[in-house]
This record gives sequence, structure tokens and C-alpha cells, in this order.
Amino acid sequence: MTEVKEKKKNKSRLKRRRSGFILLFLAPTMAAFCIFYLYPIITVFVTSFCRWDYTNITSPEFFGFSDMWNNYDYIFHTYPYFWEALRNSSIWALLGVILQIPIAAVIALALSRKVRGIRIIRNIYIIPNMISTAAMGIIFLQLYNPSYGIVNQVIRIFNKDFTDNILLLKGPAFIAMTAAYIFFTGTTTLMILGNIMAVPEEVREAAMLDGASGLRQDWYVTIPMIKGTLRTVSVLAATSGFLLYNEVYFLTKGAAGTYSISYVIRELAITSPRTQFGRANSVAVIQILAGMVIIVAVNLLYSVSLKKKEGRGGEAL
Amino acid sequence: MKHTNNKTKSVKSLSGGTRIFTYICLAWALIVSLVPIVWLVLSSLKKDPLARPGFQLPESIYLQGYISTFRDLHVMRYFGNSMFIAGVSVLISVVMISMSAYVVARMEFKGKKIVNIMLYSTMFIPATALTYPVYNLINNLHLYDTRAALILIYSCSGIAVSFFVIKNYYDNIPRDLEEAARIDGCGYVQTWVKVIFPIARPGIMTAAVLAFLNNWNEYYWASLVLINRDKLTVPALLSTFTTSFNTNYNGLFSAMVIIILPPVLLYCIFSKFFIEALSGGAVKG
Repeated sequence: MTEVKEKKKNKSRLKRRRSGFILLFLAPTMAAFCIFYLYPIITVFVTSFCRWDYTNITSPEFFGFSDMWNNYDYIFHTYPYFWEALRNSSIWALLGVILQIPIAAVIALALSRKVRGIRIIRNIYIIPNMISTAAMGIIFLQLYNPSYGIVNQVIRIFNKDFTDNILLLKGPAFIAMTAAYIFFTGTTTLMILGNIMAVPEEVREAAMLDGASGLRQDWYVTIPMIKGTLRTVSVLAATSGFLLYNEVYFLTKGAAGTYSISYVIRELAITSPRTQFGRANSVAVIQILAGMVIIVAVNLLYSVSLKKKEGRGGEAL
Repeated sequence: MKHTNNKTKSVKSLSGGTRIFTYICLAWALIVSLVPIVWLVLSSLKKDPLARPGFQLPESIYLQGYISTFRDLHVMRYFGNSMFIAGVSVLISVVMISMSAYVVARMEFKGKKIVNIMLYSTMFIPATALTYPVYNLINNLHLYDTRAALILIYSCSGIAVSFFVIKNYYDNIPRDLEEAARIDGCGYVQTWVKVIFPIARPGIMTAAVLAFLNNWNEYYWASLVLINRDKLTVPALLSTFTTSFNTNYNGLFSAMVIIILPPVLLYCIFSKFFIEALSGGAVKG
């Protein structure tokens, strides 16, 4: 009798200890999550329905149910840069998927072949990704400088009288800003390359027997095999394109039609002399929702094409 | 993994078209990554980059800009700041996350699904959307313009990547080891500290290196919560560059070269490590 009791006691003590351990080890990360993600997200959603600006910094004030969309109304109809920012950020997200990922994949395929010096080329290609985007922004600011940069020198070969700063021309400024980051796909390329290298040799050999070699083999065999990774990096590229901030800040500060959503949020919430916290947070809500739409859209795109080709993809992250 | 090198086919066995295409891609990769950096270094050696723009070689090598970057800009101070902030926050976040990842990887408990979803969602929550609440929080904690503010932000952000890297590593550790430790009388905490942590060190190091690089290069929050020039990290210092050098282009270019040097050097030394980490171990550095 006593033995059974003793065992039960022991068991429950062990159980308590186990729960204590789980709690102890989870607590710090959960606290970090609450501080940096949960609390801010709730604040963003709630205060996007509040009158909250530089005049009432400490006391946001709910608009009331009849006027609760006030901030959104202002953002959609009065604020001059919102639609421009949304369009730009969406284009950057799209370019991430349709331009950046194909470039990254093509270079990863090239890097997967045996060429003399391939390691050196691979290592060099990753270097720009080790440098902060802030530093790359300043380097490109100099490259685009009309008096001593190299971009204007190249343009002058075709048009002798060209003396404008391309970062101040509507249209070219957007292209110049995109070019300042989109070609640096080092880390993405490396992630794809890792997956290409993990494709089993037998699969390639089978393809060789079927007569597929070189580019055909890449297209019909390798690409379908790495679709899982391509989907993951596409989501990452689209998201980071959508959130672009540093390039905008360092290159144009939003001039010549180059606002981004992140830039709008920061301007409304922090930099403007008449800060509008409630309105900034309503833009933030749109950014969060649009970000989700983008992730779903990219996933849909890949699952449709996966079904069509019936290729086996790798593990998504 | 060990026969990685046999998998890459020699370019000679490829048809002409494929071979040319491969060379074009590789040439493009080199041009894209080298042009900005070579131009930057070249310009930093010119006394007056305005007089000899573009890729013209300097008349004579002029190093004054480099000397003044160390002497007048006190660049070492900013390296120190970045080192301190990035280092401390990586330490905090990696220890914290390797603890939680262990619990999630190895134990069953109520609410595990929710914990998983929470951690996974951090990958998709845009940090810039949280700008004002975080900024406000830092102010309310009276941490504005302190290094502690940035350490707090860096420790709490970027949970997802570290979590997945470390958890994947745990998943590959056989469970027998823990059972053996348990039989030897180790408690849960002891088992983790003495057995699991040492074995998982390579995975944890990978997460730490990636997080360190991220924090070292981070600009958005650094420029938001730090004002005092003495406390700035290297990326935050950059935003003062566009005005502070005025027309001293040689000084600007030299300072830029020195500022991009540490991550590039770090990469050259640890490239093997970076490459294996980012490619999931399939590519040898």
C-alpha cells in the first residue's frame, strides 16, 4: 500500500518538475515574443482606430464606432503618398518573385557546375550581401552622382548632354533604386545552390540517360526538384521587397515618386514635425495585412505550378 | 554530403550553348558584385575623385582619407559599439532560443501548437509595421538613446530564423543520450546544460553567426533609438555621412571602405562557415 502511494507521489513530483522545467525554458522566449511582437501588434490594431497624434501623445482617444475608420479614410483619400507607396512596395514585392528569384536561380545553376575558380566566384558573389544595405545605399548614392559617379558617364556615351541626377527624375529614380539592391542575390543564391547540391545524383544520371543535359536538364529535372526551396526564398524576397526602407532613405528620401510603405509609416510616426501615430498605425495594419496576402499569393502560385508539373519539391522551411 | 564534389559536372562535358550561358552568368555575377566595390576602393585612393571620375586610375595613391578616418572620425569607437550591441544581444537571444527550441523539439505539453505558431509567425510580421509601438515602449521604459534599447530590440527580434536553425539541429540528436543522462541522475536542466548544449553547439553557433551578421548590419532600429553620436552603431553612423563630409569625397570614400571592411574580412575568414550555414550544409566552403 505505502509503496504504491510512494510511487504515485514520486510520479506527481516528477510531473511537477517537468512542467516547471518546460515553463522555465519557454518563459524567456515567450516574454520576448510578447514584448516585441504581441504587445506592439495589438497596439497597432487598436490605436489605428484612435485619434492619436502630436497633440495627445500620452492619451490615444477612440474615435467612436461611427467614425472608427477615420484614420483609414485620411490615409486613403487625403494623405498624398499612400497610393504611390503601396504601388511601389507592391512592385518591389512582385519584382522579388519574378526578377530576383530567377536571377538567383540561374546564377545558382551556373555556380553548381565545375568550372575552374568556381569557388572564388561564389565567394565574391556573396560579399555584397555581407555589407549592410545602409552602406550599399551610400555606395550607390555615389555611383549615381551626376558629377563623379559612373552611371552618368555611361549615359553620356549615348547622350552627350545628359547632366541630370537620375535619382531626381521620376521613372529613372525608381529603376535606379531597384537596381541598387535587386541584383545582390548572394544569400538567396546560396540557399538555392544548397538545395541543388542536395539533389540525388541518381536523378541527374537518369535524366542524362533520357538525353536531357545542360540547360534542358536544369529546366526539366533540377528546377522541379528544388521548388520547395524556390517557394521559400520567393516568399522571403517578396516580403523584403515589400518592406523596403533603407534604400529609399539613403537614395531619394521618397523624392521623384519613390515612397515605400515602410517609409510612409516612419515618416508619419517619427520624422514628421506633426507626428500622426494613429494614422501611422493604420498604415501599419495595411502593411501587415498586405504582407499576409503576398505570402498566400506566392504559396498559391507555387502550389498551382507544382500540381501542373507534378514535380517533387524539397522541404519548405 | 561527402560526395558533393562528384555531383557537379565538369563544364567541358556540356554542350556549347550551355557552356556559353554558364560563362555569361558567372561573368555577370562577378561584374555585379565587383563593380561597386572596386570603384569605391579606386575612388578612395584619389586625392580628388571629382577630377578623375569613374574607373580612371589615380595619379598617385593618396591615403590621407584613411588616416583621417581613424584619427578624426574615431571609427574604432563605432566598431566597438556595434561589436558590443550585436555581441550581447546575440548571446541573450541564442541562449534564450536554444532553451525554448529544446523544449519544443523534445517534449510534449499542452499549448505546444500555439507556441509553434507564435514563433513561426514572427517570420512574417513586418518589423517596420511595429515602428511606433516599439519606439513608444522604449520611451516608456526610459531606454531612449541607450545601448540597452537596441540590445532589447535585437534580442527579441529575429526569433524565427534562430529557432528553426537550432531546432533542426536538436532533431538530429539521438534521444538515447538524454535517457542515459537521466539514468545517471541528471535533472532536466542538468541534462540540457551538460549533455545537449555541448552537442548542439555547431547548430547554435550557426544561428549565432547569422544573427550577429544581421545585428551588425541592422540600420532601421539603430537609427530610430540612438541619437547621441558616441553611442551610434556603424550603420547608424552612415546616415550622418551624406552631410558630414560635405565635399571631402576622398574622406567619404575612404571611410566607406573602412566601414565595409570588417564584415568582408569576417566573411573571408569564416566563409566556409557562412556557406555551410546558408546552404544547409550541402555546399562546402
